[in-house]
Amino acid sequence: MSEANTPHCGDVRELIPDLVAGRLPAAEAARVNGHVKTCTDCRAELDLVRLLHATRAEVPAGLLDRITRASIARRPARTWWGISAAAIAALALGIGIVSDDASAPGAEVPVFVREAEEGEIWLSDDGLVAGAPALDDLSDEALLELLDELTNVSTGGGA
Amino acid sequence: MTEEERRAPDPSDLELVQRARSGDDAALGALAKRHHAAAYRVALGFVHEDDVAQDVVQDAFLRAFRGLVGFRADASFRTWLLTITANEAKGALRKKGRRKETALEDAAEVRSEEGGPAHDAIVRQEAERARRMLEQLPEKQRLSVTLRVEEGLSFKEIGEVIGSSEGAARVNYFHGIRRLRELME
Repeated sequence: MSEANTPHCGDVRELIPDLVAGRLPAAEAARVNGHVKTCTDCRAELDLVRLLHATRAEVPAGLLDRITRASIARRPARTWWGISAAAIAALALGIGIVSDDASAPGAEVPVFVREAEEGEIWLSDDGLVAGAPALDDLSDEALLELLDELTNVSTGGGA
Repeated sequence: MTEEERRAPDPSDLELVQRARSGDDAALGALAKRHHAAAYRVALGFVHEDDVAQDVVQDAFLRAFRGLVGFRADASFRTWLLTITANEAKGALRKKGRRKETALEDAAEVRSEEGGPAHDAIVRQEAERARRMLEQLPEKQRLSVTLRVEEGLSFKEIGEVIGSSEGAARVNYFHGIRRLRELME
């Protein structure tokens, strides 16, 4: 086994985004930094993640104000906000209303699932487009095997 | 601000949601302040145009705030908002009829965290390349990379946004990173 693919590579790569963003405790950061110094593959991944993180899009200055003003101006009448979620849910069930608001979070089925069923989102199967297996159909064991391959097979950087 | 307020920890999203339900405009503002940047970058990843991305984010927040009354305590406001944002962005793309290819120069500015014009130029050049490569990834891989690297979401949270399991989100992320590295070489 080359130094590029030590048994710790998978663990380290999972933590690289947290290292770059400064979210890791000092001891953990030291462990990850120590590994990438000796592993060319993980070092290359660190460089890529650092580049992506450092060049994220700047958020427009007026956006927050715009959202806040629009949200306050267009929020529902205050009397309705005081009614509990349970009361609303009970009312909806009692009179057989099915909301057509896709953003309603109280529904049993998550929004993205409901919209997927309606054909509104995830119009293409990314995995198939990419030539990769359809991940959602795989068992946990199969996902673990695939993950192991992804994090331990060299991309050509140092194995 | 009083000393007591200064010492108080930031309220959780759930606390803000509960206050917003009671008509607390400041809580709405706090939720927007906390999550608008992530929502903007997710939207921009789809629509590639600053003005369209801003419209998408505003619409996403409006939809989210309208739905607060039924928000479940066990749900994550952030992942819920980002899911709505992604769906709004896709809706915006459908309205346009096709996904418009936009040069990075037309999108929002990128920033470098280290100084110096020469260094910035190199970073910008490499960043443009990386961003173009990122755009070539399948949607779930791209979103997984963006949400993990730029927003720090856990794989469980990413799974909630892209409609996959935590394991599938993790695999999508590592697939995406591997593809990016191959494309960048």
